[in-house]
Amino acid sequence: MFRHLSALWTARHFLLALVRLDLRLRYRRSVLGVGWSLLHPIAMTAVFTVVFSQLFGDGNPIGYATFALSGLAVWNFLRDSATLGSKSLAQNESYIRQSPLPYTVYTLRCVLGHLIHACMALLVVVVLLVAWKGDPGPLVGLALALPGLALAVVAAWAVATIGAFVTAFFHDTAHILEVGAQIGFFLTPIMYRRSLLDDRGLGWLVDINPAGMFLAVIRDPLLTGVPTAAGLQQLGYAYLAAAVCTAAAVGLAVAVVAWLHKKVIFHL
Amino acid sequence: MAKIELTDVSITFNAHQQKRVSLKEYLVRRLYNRSVNPVMRVHALSNINLTVRDGERIGVIGHNGAGKTTLLKTLAGVYPPTTGTRVVEGKICSLFDITLGFEQEATGWENVLYRSYLQGETPTSIRGKLDGIAQFAELGEFLNTAVRNYSAGMLMRLAFSIATSIDPEVLLVDEVLAVGDLAFQNKAQARMRELMSSSRLMVMVAHDLDAVRRLCTRVIWMTHGQIIMDGSPNEVIDAYVTTVTGKRPVAA
Repeated sequence: MFRHLSALWTARHFLLALVRLDLRLRYRRSVLGVGWSLLHPIAMTAVFTVVFSQLFGDGNPIGYATFALSGLAVWNFLRDSATLGSKSLAQNESYIRQSPLPYTVYTLRCVLGHLIHACMALLVVVVLLVAWKGDPGPLVGLALALPGLALAVVAAWAVATIGAFVTAFFHDTAHILEVGAQIGFFLTPIMYRRSLLDDRGLGWLVDINPAGMFLAVIRDPLLTGVPTAAGLQQLGYAYLAAAVCTAAAVGLAVAVVAWLHKKVIFHL
Repeated sequence: MAKIELTDVSITFNAHQQKRVSLKEYLVRRLYNRSVNPVMRVHALSNINLTVRDGERIGVIGHNGAGKTTLLKTLAGVYPPTTGTRVVEGKICSLFDITLGFEQEATGWENVLYRSYLQGETPTSIRGKLDGIAQFAELGEFLNTAVRNYSAGMLMRLAFSIATSIDPEVLLVDEVLAVGDLAFQNKAQARMRELMSSSRLMVMVAHDLDAVRRLCTRVIWMTHGQIIMDGSPNEVIDAYVTTVTGKRPVAA
């Protein structure tokens, strides 16, 4: 494990150069440049705000827009890391066949790329919040959310790695994950508030939902700003759940890599 | 000090004879069922013991599918041994599949960086080598265009220039590289000779027996993933030629 991480460290220049390339290629031909990555979540947020802000929100469009946009940013990051990350070994096969770098470099390439998109959307949320509330409270929320984002990156990397290894053996894994993600979108409190499920006794659905755990440690503190004592305690529990979930994903990923890393290249 | 040590290395893997199995099929139709989709166990290498010391030049010969390339890729660390241990000390330069793994949308210059990083260079260490690589590849302005527009020959030039830009201690070569046009071929061969003399040790897979005789100090003959003979070039190559042609070799 330690050797694996040090091998990753030596590959950092390679990794970061490719992440930069991925970003540039994505926006190269677009007038809006980096703004393109925001267009999709912002358009979705606009639609959600128009349609659902009365239904699920408290009637304040900006409040609901920041809620939906931050939820979408986190959700899209987790979804894309899992589904597109699962394809990363197949996509980087030519490097794998040439160089003994650890395979997790390629899943990390994918996860870091999507992390940057998520960060840009979250930045828009922070700017909106600061402008709307007129005080720097959201920056405290941001500070409380950053460790959550770090946990999410580790968990997403682990899931992408598991998915990528399974994809080598079952090539339709990414497709199945996409179907799962579509179902997951509606089971996760992204466009509606968690309290809606709590009121109907369905809160456990969110409690066992990993995406729900990461929303609770990224979106909730970000939107709350300066927390109350009770809120802080609740956030502590949320962090505990997210940390346990991340540890489980990492444990599983380590097991899968240990089990399959000698076989996977023969199945690509 | 460069060193290669393979101890009891075997590489085996399962391949499905019929087709790749999807997860849905696996769950629904149990296609993994051996009678429907039999599994073939491939023994790519079996119980290879090989020690190469500083200064040795090894040639690997054998018929197609004997495991020569697999051996080379195992030495390079690309194929992990299923059992046994692999110890390779020294900076490795592997010259096989070098035209794979280009980022098609990136420019030649950018690909030079990516490949160099892949070979273990850092932004500081590569700075001094960029000019040399560009000069050797002779691609001029084309380095500023996307690699997707390159011809196969141009790609090969670039790949070869990058791959040979590091000062390797362990040189792994697959077949004789046919690189680019005639002028470049001469240059490439000169560079190869230079690398072969400067590297601490070399393992070369080749079908050109004369080249092996000329360049190597020791030859390994492989069949079915096993080393069946290991000795001086003349001795092994003569035995190989005798078996393959059924004739005594003409004195070399």
